[in-house]
Amino acid sequence: MLQMIVFGIICGLMLGFVLQRGRFCVVGAYRDLILAKDVRMLLATFVVIAIQSIGVYALNGTGVIQFANDGFPWLGTIVGGFIFGVGMVLAGGCATGTWYRAGEGMIGSWVALFGYMLGAAMTKYGVWKVYGDQLLSYRTRDTYIHETLNVSPWVLVVLVTVLVSFLVLRELRKPKLPIFQMKPKKKGMAHLLFEKRWHPFITALLVGLIAIVAWPLSAMTGRMFGLGITAPSANILTFLITGEDVLIDWGTFLVLGIFLGAYIAAKGSGEFRWRLPDKKTLRNNAFGGVIMGFGASVAGGCTIGNGLVNSALFAWQGWIAIIFFLLGTWVATYFTIIRKQKQTVGSFKAA
Amino acid sequence: MAKVLETTGMVCPFPLVEAKEAIVDMATGEELIINFDCTQATESIPRWAATEGHEITEFEQVDDAKWRIIVKKGN
Repeated sequence: MLQMIVFGIICGLMLGFVLQRGRFCVVGAYRDLILAKDVRMLLATFVVIAIQSIGVYALNGTGVIQFANDGFPWLGTIVGGFIFGVGMVLAGGCATGTWYRAGEGMIGSWVALFGYMLGAAMTKYGVWKVYGDQLLSYRTRDTYIHETLNVSPWVLVVLVTVLVSFLVLRELRKPKLPIFQMKPKKKGMAHLLFEKRWHPFITALLVGLIAIVAWPLSAMTGRMFGLGITAPSANILTFLITGEDVLIDWGTFLVLGIFLGAYIAAKGSGEFRWRLPDKKTLRNNAFGGVIMGFGASVAGGCTIGNGLVNSALFAWQGWIAIIFFLLGTWVATYFTIIRKQKQTVGSFKAA
Repeated sequence: MAKVLETTGMVCPFPLVEAKEAIVDMATGEELIINFDCTQATESIPRWAATEGHEITEFEQVDDAKWRIIVKKGN
């Protein structure tokens, strides 16, 4: 038990801290692709995938960790992925984003987080379970892309790593934009940890390393998976209501750690304050949270569990989920932001 | 003449979305003062200004999780 608490919290603390300081936001990364025509943050998510794939297949090779092989629930992943994508735009952050923004004092994220826990718990254990189980019953025989292609996973690890390295180098070679920086008020370590802007690729590198160590830390407590947010979030709420302590595992302490780590990072850098959005945003946060919980449960993971972890394992589920997360994000961004912009400012693009 | 844009309480990406809208009918050289409290905008607003060729004349954290940035419209 103590080991579970300590390993979970440590991993979560590091992740929450890094996400807050690096302003690492998956919904932002997906959204900016159409809103700002900016691929940099999306590329950062692929840096996480590439680094993690090397680490986890190396650990798998030594026998420290094993991967599940229970087919690819394609219908659940497609439907759930799309709904999750829509939900995270309305919720103002993906599952992890919601946990760390709650740590920054965003009340809208507390509302979204409650909705997310509720939606996920309803789908895993409650009245939506029948729909979830139905969607999850359509499975292919193969779980992994390399299994279908009948190649070693290392072929894909090398392919993705080479491709991502090439794109990163190309991005870094672009002429540097003269981005205005605030005058530093802190020095040394304090400046580095609590003030400096972190380059998204540095943040991605750190997230990738944390995602690797998550595997053995979690495995030592009997939970054979890497970073995962949805099941622990559903389980916390269900545990609080039922008192069933089997629901508590490494993941529970991971998500609590994310919240604490983000709070420490925000507090240390003067970025913590209770912030209340307007009523319309709160309504969207609540609704977005609930459907995000449903979506993540039937997709078999959120933008972390599927988008960063299953994708690094080269599970079909991870990659197909990313495609539908993107589609859902774009549809919701179109209806909540782009269409409104076109209505209010007709000459927006011309300017 | 400076124009003030109050986005405190708005979550991302709305401070930037509003700033983009507000700057459309401004004249070159005019200043837009944006008050915001969404952390991600500390990254996205300066980046947008640099990409669009607007100059940032002032950027400071005025309180816990509260920032003020002044963007001077470029050509």
